[in-house]
This record gives sequence, structure tokens and C-alpha cells, in this order.
Amino acid sequence: MNPNQRKSSKFKQVFVLSTAMLSFISFWRAASIVLCDFGSSAYYAGGIAMKSFGAAFPWFILAVMLFAGAMLAVYVESCGMFVRGGVYVVVRRAIGKVMAKMAVSALMFDFVVTGPISATSAGLYLGYLASNLFHISGADFNFPIKIFAMFFGVAVISYFWRKNIKGVGESSDTNVKIVSFVAVIAAVLFAWSLYTLWIRGFKLPPFEIHFTEEALGWAKYIDWMRPIGLLGIFMAFGHSILALSGLETMAQVYREIEDPKIKNLKKTALIVFAASFMFTGVLTFISSLIIPYEQIATRYADNLLSGLAMELHGPYAARFMLQILVVVSGGLILIGAVNTSMVGANGMLNRVAEDGILHDWFRQIHKKYGTTHRMINVIAVAQISIVLISRGDIYLLGEAYAFGVLWSLVFDTLSLIVLRFKDPGYERGWLFPLNIKIKNIYVPLGLSLVFLVLLVTAVINLVTKNVATVSGVIFSGVFFMIFQISEKLNSKKTRLYEDEPEIDEKLNLSRENDILELLPKLKKERRILVPVRNPNNLVHLKHVLAAVDDETADIIVMSAKISKIMEFGREESPIGEGDKDLFKDIILLAEKYGKTIIPLLLFSNDPFYSIMQAAASLKVDEVILGVSGTMGAEAQLERLAMTWGLLKSQGFETRPVKVKIIWQGRKLSYELN
Amino acid sequence: MNIQEDKIAISSILRVQNIYFIDRKIDKNETVKFLTSKVYPQIADEVTEKYLMEKVLEVEKLNNVLETGFYIPHAKLSEIDRFYCALALLMNGFEDPESRIRVRACFLLLTPHKSGFFQKHLYILSRLSQIFTEEFIDRMVKLGRPRAVLNMIKSAE
Repeated sequence: MNPNQRKSSKFKQVFVLSTAMLSFISFWRAASIVLCDFGSSAYYAGGIAMKSFGAAFPWFILAVMLFAGAMLAVYVESCGMFVRGGVYVVVRRAIGKVMAKMAVSALMFDFVVTGPISATSAGLYLGYLASNLFHISGADFNFPIKIFAMFFGVAVISYFWRKNIKGVGESSDTNVKIVSFVAVIAAVLFAWSLYTLWIRGFKLPPFEIHFTEEALGWAKYIDWMRPIGLLGIFMAFGHSILALSGLETMAQVYREIEDPKIKNLKKTALIVFAASFMFTGVLTFISSLIIPYEQIATRYADNLLSGLAMELHGPYAARFMLQILVVVSGGLILIGAVNTSMVGANGMLNRVAEDGILHDWFRQIHKKYGTTHRMINVIAVAQISIVLISRGDIYLLGEAYAFGVLWSLVFDTLSLIVLRFKDPGYERGWLFPLNIKIKNIYVPLGLSLVFLVLLVTAVINLVTKNVATVSGVIFSGVFFMIFQISEKLNSKKTRLYEDEPEIDEKLNLSRENDILELLPKLKKERRILVPVRNPNNLVHLKHVLAAVDDETADIIVMSAKISKIMEFGREESPIGEGDKDLFKDIILLAEKYGKTIIPLLLFSNDPFYSIMQAAASLKVDEVILGVSGTMGAEAQLERLAMTWGLLKSQGFETRPVKVKIIWQGRKLSYELN
Repeated sequence: MNIQEDKIAISSILRVQNIYFIDRKIDKNETVKFLTSKVYPQIADEVTEKYLMEKVLEVEKLNNVLETGFYIPHAKLSEIDRFYCALALLMNGFEDPESRIRVRACFLLLTPHKSGFFQKHLYILSRLSQIFTEEFIDRMVKLGRPRAVLNMIKSAE
């Protein structure tokens, strides 16, 4: 028997936190995840805007996509401040918990409506294609497209409902494949459109805004709110702003972006901006140049890009093939957006639940799958209800849509402005441009301009988009009340909450029988062991995360839970709140630096023995420690040296290990042979 | 900071006259005091006995008893220029009050607190821990002669 195996029973038990949540992704993958949500609006935003205010819609979709660039930049500043950010965290920090709850309630509405609008839109594209097929085959059959879209939407949401309950989340591999496929189809559409324009010539769409009665909302009862001049432009802009939905995914994905995080986030934002501007903005614009306006209004408002494919210059069969490809690509990205909305809403609710503003009832873990099934049930039921209420009417869904995205962006941008004054010294990875430095404050002119545009649009939308206002206020109000009541109830039973047995599962803990079971997971050239103990003393871990390339080194972050009365065969004490807090801090740090780590929690009766035994068993090259406040660095090295000798005397197979102790500005090291 | 591999033989710093067999009952403090008093005359020109005792006990707050029953009290002194050490082999042993381990051998190590010595100091601690296993200590205690003990350490190195 390997002596390392024989002796490793001294550890008693080894707990290993799942590493799945700590693997980091490239900016390409991050961009593909965001685009799967953000890019999907290309399939319906133009048609909805056209139905609201007529032929000028391409100009406004283009303007909204340009504005998306500014909003992406807002998110870059926000993510640069908070790795686990997003609207809730930013707003809570800047203007308090009540406003944060309001913002997150609005955002929940956005997430919840994203599912129905995407699923219904996919159903409509499929329905129109089916109708086309019936037409080609000569069947005299009036295919009920909207009813089909409704049932299709319900089926898609039900599918992802089940998938999410089972815990099959998003895969960035799938996102990359979908976005790549959509990009190819978009490129074909784009190239063929240019050829068509070259053959046929074109006329720019008129910049004339004609609001329908529906699109005016309550404004038709207000004399001074005539849709003319700047006011009219803002009203039309407000009807097009739904194309912005999906930006929050940037904040959700930021924690997973690999090192260097800010640089990669900026690249992600640039890719998302360029792709969505071309895809949603330019393709919608080109559609209006190629498809006669009457055709858009009567045939293609619900499936604009299918319409573009069918109206290109070329043989019918080729155009029809392209339409099939457009429907397939649209189906994939829109269906992907349904899943993203469910995963995003669930993630958001989990985030606020961690903050104690969602009742424990929602946090109940599914016995078999370990997912927060009650949250998923609430989201799925709400999404299916919305699909059924809309009966496949994408315009109605579009009317309701913008409320959530717009108000959450208003809160987010306002909060960033407030933070510039409230927390001027807070570490920011990047600043939104156009600032004037006064003393230590960067006065945010650029951010203020963005905020002004958002606020004016949001306020005008309150009046003109009455469906959005009524449904948004009711939905957000209900969620806000749930948060308020939950917070009160949770504060009364803090103890109960703390003692929940499934806390460990929420941390994705998995139990290993022996530390050697970790060995197959360590596949990189170097192995670095970083023992941690005190969440306030993680300088050495920061040093490792900043300096070590995780592509070539396995970084094992280890905490030893010490029990002096530990005996073989005796059940060891469970993981305590302190351990969980320590590991949460470690995970946050790893996310901040974008480095993959392997968190490891050991039980032992001697901290030095556990460190050196782990080092020997896992065949690490380096052990990097923080300084102990009670012992001092030299005494730590002495103990480690003695323990190393002891291990060798016990027959452990050892190889040279470099031990470093790092603290503020100093380093002490020794090579144990 | 340089990483050094400063190997040094324990047998080269331990003198025969500093190896003691103690067959009376003795506790932890008495053992440390005994060894300190035996080493002290060699460095009496540099430090006082009280100071030396304080330095050794300061490190001992951290307790350096190994589970093999081997105890290594040690101190670093800026006043000395070479290693000094002494070994006590205890016939009856004593129970360490903190770890409840029965100690059968005690090695006092004094290291110069000067550049270049710390790496050697760590090497000595590591080697001592490796060589002084339970069986090794048992055999040493039974030897009865300091010269034989030193030879045994030499051959183990």
C-alpha cells in the first residue's frame, strides 16, 4: 500500500467544494452568452416598433443599438466595481435596500417577459414558415399562426421549466455554437442583402413618426403630449427600447470571465456591441430598404428577418432555403433566450435570497436535483401565464416588455452616478468616459447624459406604453411586496435560517473519502497549495491569484478545520458558518481575479500536519502561506520543517517543496527536500 | 530572498559531552532548564543564563513536541556565531502537559540569529524530526553511552 494512502486516514475526512462554479471563460464565450439573450431581439424588435409608430422604425432601432454601446459601457463600470454585481448589488450600495428591491422587481419583470416574448417569437417564425410550406404544397389551409405560436411558447417554457428543475443550466459551449450559427446566417443575409440593394437600388426609410392610437397610450388624452418634435422622438425611442433587453446578462457573466477580467470584459462588451449593432440594428435597417413597407406591415411584422430572406433578389428555392435557415437560427437563439431568462431570473432570486429578502420557502432545495425548484416554478408559471394571456400576440408582449429593462437601467445608471460621489475612493476597473475631476471625485458627465436619456424615456413610456405600465407596476409591485414581507419574516427567524441542513448543498459541497481522490483532478504542470484560515488574512492568496497562471498551475486553496479530539471512525463536526464564510470569500477572490482554483476543506487535528500531508499527498511544487499573527513567519517555517521531517520518517513519498510565507510587502521562503 | 539548501550534519554540531542520559523523574520545564544549564557555560561570555532561559521558553510557548515523543526546544540568539546543542535521553520520560505525548528525547538547539543561519536551522529541525523516530529514540535510550548515541546519529545521517 502506498504510505501516502495509509497515512492519509489521519485527515479523517476530506471535503471538496465543487469546482464547476470556479472555472472561468474567455471573452468570446462571455460574449456568446450575452448575445444569446441580447441578440435575440433582432428577430422581433423591428416589427414591434413598426407597429407602434410606422416606417421610421429602422432609424430608432439603429439609435437604440447605438445607445446599447453606452449602456454596455455603463455595465463595464458597474462590473468593474462589483464582481458579483448586477442591478441589485449596485443599487443597494448606492441608494439603499428599498430602491434595490424596486430595481430588482422591475428587472424580474424583464426576465419573466423575456421568456414569453422569445418563445412566442420563435413560434411565430416557425408558424409563418409552416404557413409558407402549406402554401407551397397547395394545401388550402389557413394555418392559425398565433395560436400555434402560443402553444409552441408554452411547450418551450415547459421544456426549460423541467430542465431547470433538473439543474441543467446554460452551457457556454451551446451558446458559442448557437451564436456561431446565427452569425453565419446573418453574414449570408447581409451579403445577399447588399447584392440585392446593388441590383435594385434603395430608398432610405422616411423619418416620419405616425403613432397608432394604441401606441399613444394615455398620451392621447393629454393635449400637450403631442408626439411632435423631441417629445415624439423620445416616444418612438421608448417604443424601440425593448431591443436593449438582455444587458443584465453581462453582469451575471462577469464573475465567470477569466483573467485579466476588466480587459476581457471590455472585449466582451465590444463584441456584443458590434455584433448586436450589425445584427439587430443594421439588418433591421436593411430589411426596411429591401422589403416594401406595406409588405412589412401586412406580412412580415412578426417575422421580419424571414421576410428579408424571402424578399431578396434570387431564385425562390434559394430564398426559401434561406428562410428555413433564418427560422432555424432564430428558433435556436430565441429558445436559448427563454432558458437564459429562466436561469437569469432564478439566479437573481437566489442572489437576493442570500441577502435575506426572499422567504426561506422559496429557497427550499429540490430533494432529488438540489435546485431551487420553487423559484423556478414561480418563474415558469408566470411565463406560461403571460404567453396564454397574450395568445401569441407579439405586439402585446412587446408593449409590456420595455418597463422592466428600462427602469432597471434607470436605477443602475443613477446608482453609478451616486457612487461616484458617495464612494469616490472605491476601486473601479474602468470609468465611463466624459468626466471632470474635482478634487478626488470624477464628476460623471457622460453617465449623467445616459441617465437623462433613460429617465426621460422611462417617464414618457409610463404614459405611452400603458400595457407596460399597468402590467409592470402590478408585477413589480407584487415582487416588491414579496421581498418586503420576506425580509420582515426572515429577520424574525434568523436562527432557523442559519440552522438549515441544506446549507452545505447550497455551497455545492461534495465529500471525498480520501485526499488522494483529488489527484486525478490535478492535471496541470505545477501544483500550488495555498492554505487559508482567516478571511481577513488572504494577502498570500491575492498574491497567488495575481501572479500565477492558472493555465499551467493547479491552485489548491485549502482550509484545515482543526479538532483536537478527532479520532478515527468518529463522525467529525459539520462545516460551520465560519468555514462557509471563508470559502465564500475565497470564491469571490477567485472570481475577482478570474482564476480557476480548487477549494479544499480538510479535517485534521494539527494544522501544520494537514498542510504538509496535503502537500506530500497531492505532490505540490509550492506551498504559499500567509503569516500567522500569533506565531510569526519564522516559527511557522520551523513548524513546517519539523512536520516535513516527521512525514518523511513516517514513510511518506515526498519530493522537494518550496514553502513561501507572504505578508504585506515581505516574503520568507525555504525549500523542503 | 534566496532559497538555500544549507545542509548541515547534526552529528557535526552535537558534542559527545552534550549528550545526557537522565534516569530520574523529570518534567518538561526541568528538562529544558537542565539542557540550558549544560549549554550555557559555552556561551556564558555572550549572554546571561536568565536571558538564555527566557529566549528558549519564549519559543516553547508554541510547543515543539512531536508525536514521536521527541521534543525540540530551540532559540535564535543574535549574540552567538555558531550552533550549540544538547541532547537529553530520558529513561522514564515525561508527559507533555499540552499534547499528552510521552517525551523520551529532548534536543535543545541554539541558532545564531544571523543571515545565512536560518536556512540551516530549518534543515536541522527537519532532519531531527525525520531521524528521531520512536524506534530510533528507544534504541538510543538503551545504548547508555553518549559516544554510541553520536555514532548512531552519524550513521542515520
